[in-house]
Amino acid sequence: MSDKTYYFLGKDFPRKEGRARVTGREVYPSDVVLPGMLYGKILRSPRPHARIKSIDFSGAQKLGAVVLAPNDTPQEFFNVRQVSVPRSTYKDWRILSDHVRQVGDPYAAVAAETEELAEQAAEAVQVEWELLPAYFSIEEAMAAEDNLIHDKVYLQDKEIPIQNNIACTREVTEGDVDKGFAEAEVIVENEFVTPRVYHCQVEPRGCTCRPEPDGGITVWPSTQALHNTRILLGQLFDIPLNKVNVIRITGGGHFGSGIHTNPVILITVALALKAGKPVKILQSREEDLYDHCRYPTRYTLKIGAKKDGTLTAGQMKAWVDIGSHHVQALAFLGVLAGWWHSLYRLPNMRYQGVAVYTNKAPTCAMQGYGAPQVTFGVETTMTILAEKLNLDPIELRANNYVGLGEIFWGQGPTIRSLIHSDGVKELLYTGAEKIGWDKRPDPKAQSGRLRRGIGVARGFHTSGTGAPVPGEVKDFTTVQVKVNEDGSIDILTALMDHGGGTLDAAAKLVAEEFGVPFDKVGISPADTRSTGYDVCTHATRGVYCGAGAVLDVAQDTKKILLDYASRILNAPADSLKTRPDEAENEGIIYVEGMPEKNITIREVAQTAMNNDWGTAISARSVRKVNCPPAYTTFFVEVEVDMETGMVRILRVVAGSDAGTVINPALAKGQLEGGFYRGAGMALLEDTDYDPKTGQLTNRGLLTDYKMLGAVDLPDPEKFEIFFAHTYEPTGPMGAKGIGEAALNPVPAAVAAAIHNATGIWFTKLPILPEDILRAVREERKRDGKKAPGKPQAVPER
Amino acid sequence: MKTAITLNVNGKEYPLEVKANEILLNVLRDRLGLMGTKYGCGIGECGDCTVLLDGKAILSCQSLAFTADGKKITTIEGLEHNGSLHPLQQAFIDEGAVQCGYCTPGMILSAKALLDTKPDPSDQEIKQAIRGNFCRCTGYTNIIRAIKTASEKIKDQGRKQT
Repeated sequence: MSDKTYYFLGKDFPRKEGRARVTGREVYPSDVVLPGMLYGKILRSPRPHARIKSIDFSGAQKLGAVVLAPNDTPQEFFNVRQVSVPRSTYKDWRILSDHVRQVGDPYAAVAAETEELAEQAAEAVQVEWELLPAYFSIEEAMAAEDNLIHDKVYLQDKEIPIQNNIACTREVTEGDVDKGFAEAEVIVENEFVTPRVYHCQVEPRGCTCRPEPDGGITVWPSTQALHNTRILLGQLFDIPLNKVNVIRITGGGHFGSGIHTNPVILITVALALKAGKPVKILQSREEDLYDHCRYPTRYTLKIGAKKDGTLTAGQMKAWVDIGSHHVQALAFLGVLAGWWHSLYRLPNMRYQGVAVYTNKAPTCAMQGYGAPQVTFGVETTMTILAEKLNLDPIELRANNYVGLGEIFWGQGPTIRSLIHSDGVKELLYTGAEKIGWDKRPDPKAQSGRLRRGIGVARGFHTSGTGAPVPGEVKDFTTVQVKVNEDGSIDILTALMDHGGGTLDAAAKLVAEEFGVPFDKVGISPADTRSTGYDVCTHATRGVYCGAGAVLDVAQDTKKILLDYASRILNAPADSLKTRPDEAENEGIIYVEGMPEKNITIREVAQTAMNNDWGTAISARSVRKVNCPPAYTTFFVEVEVDMETGMVRILRVVAGSDAGTVINPALAKGQLEGGFYRGAGMALLEDTDYDPKTGQLTNRGLLTDYKMLGAVDLPDPEKFEIFFAHTYEPTGPMGAKGIGEAALNPVPAAVAAAIHNATGIWFTKLPILPEDILRAVREERKRDGKKAPGKPQAVPER
Repeated sequence: MKTAITLNVNGKEYPLEVKANEILLNVLRDRLGLMGTKYGCGIGECGDCTVLLDGKAILSCQSLAFTADGKKITTIEGLEHNGSLHPLQQAFIDEGAVQCGYCTPGMILSAKALLDTKPDPSDQEIKQAIRGNFCRCTGYTNIIRAIKTASEKIKDQGRKQT
């Protein structure tokens, strides 16, 4: 939040999509209906690892269904995630394969005139399976010599052999680690485990595709990545890109599950092309639970420090169980090192990451992309270090964080940039004051059934993946900004808004730049034929990179507009200023120092049209050469019931350094939502598998995928949010990101609060009531006290 | 075999022939084109398909269409009157309670069922009323604020009218 004053930034306006969304008129992928459309159904493997020996579609065909077998689809290898550059892209996917690698893996599809008929047709397909050994843990998978989950994978176009189900590895070293540890006066080492969380976006993923008479296709998918989806579809189905039109449509939540082109999109297109008719597939919730989840991690983290708290060295070894396919685990292994190295100054570090295939749902990006996982271990270690060194955990953080003027590489070792704004100390000290840090309980002094604790954790996310030198990840956005003949303005870009307010932020920046009322700036409907490339809305890049690109292009358009105005006003363009006239609903252009010499934008646009000067319009691609850290700090107060192990969240103080805050209410909403999902990861959410059947133990049913609900969260008045007073000089009017930073430190903060209440550190997430009870019992046994959980009034039998 | 029924949806009568196993959610969406009622899980866990049946919030994915014969159904499309939003709809926009918006229709209808019977609910009562409606974006805080704001506004309107 900067101290500058703006017409629109920092003020709340009804969001542009608000009315459609509260009246039920927003169109989501599940709402797309086309004349003559067929309904598709995907056939999914009931086995965790198998090959098709034979498949018989005759029953489905008798019902009049269109059927799609693996050999009806292109058999080239690809990666569903197209964010990385080709040289770093591993390819192990095919649209349909006769080698299934998890329960729920697609192997065929059918389409029919009704959903009911499609389901009947799917049930009529007969398959004979050859069963293969399946692996549900990293140990089992790495012990395997043959019957591997993938026997060959391509890196770009080069075939690489796979051994022991290891998908890829990555090492990063800086400085001299052995020397660093030799200099350390205290060393803390622990193993941390983080869960396989399901995104649970409210709308299961789906797609509709219409084949066009010219051989092209129009596609309405659930996706975060319009242009990457277009490029992949063109490549796989050999359709010229000017005939592939992917329509931007609001998804019912993504959280990272749509950065890659989900298999349902590819299968829908293949079915539609085979049928020669529009086809729609909407995954059921059960199918969706087998479709994607967060990368789980297990890692050892060792950090050494001097007595004054200066860190001397760090070592991390991480194992990632990636499931049945590679959604670019190489990039994920890179960011694990990046998040770690960019939290605190570490002169010497060694990192090794290993990604291993298992017969489970494929893992992919989910809010934070490895940062919540790593921040959990790093922040826990920092508090343990502070305790060992008898330092205040806040001071240890304030003295060691990576901040202003330093180089950081949050998005991995190839994406390095300089930090230009830093509100970390303000977040730490203001938050500490608000929560009452100095009065936090002493865990050793607490007794009784209910124990209270306060915890802190800090973190950040990069605002996008831009850097001075391009790295492994693509990052740019293409925008067109046009002034209409009534003085209104249209923004055309493939940038997406997942609900956080990215496109509203873009519109506000344009309103501010042009000096026109907010209502006069519109966001045009977008598709891939009418827009230039945008990498996708991910990596907290929406406002900084995406809306930042919109602002840069708006400035180009404004130059043209002011040139037209200068001809009319007979004053040099450099002397012209703009301001909104809210009462008249106009943008005004005036000569600086001579406000009476003015004209409305409407009149300028009309004069330009009537004199054949043209339209004030411009378009180009913009790449940001930075990805500033959006810092956050969470203070959490909990109450732990020592007899049931239940944790109640009493209070939250969340601080965010987002630079200039463009949409205050929506920015707060990001922090509240981030906390909710982070606390769920800390206390509840996980997906595990039954190795006997290969199924999820919840069998894909939402009934047994538990999340926190409204009743589990603190009342609104117990959730306090504040913003640091910073201005990001490289950002659009001082703004940087917020989205993923709103979750990253949360699991660590919750774990720290539980420690403050119980005196016990938990290094495995989620921290379930039974984990707490078990740990408390062990602790008491060690201390020779009576175990809790057995009320003392009940005599032993 | 089909049964002839009449659904009264948002004040309009729809004579229909439905099969015994036809689900209300599908009839509303596929046959009446009322796409504001959403599918999220199909097993009564998420609350996306919430509609009002004679004023009570129910899950349309768990209701057979013929059981709604002759009853009054309100969907999200029925809340706007003559171009003006219901106070709940306006408050959801104003308080930032709408992010992706997919849960919003069901959430607003659960809130309406609450405010229609309890105009001045506590935080706890609001949380209980929406506990069956799952939102993955907001963390519920702004939704609770919006419901409180709407409750104030409805009370103010009531005072002005009397």
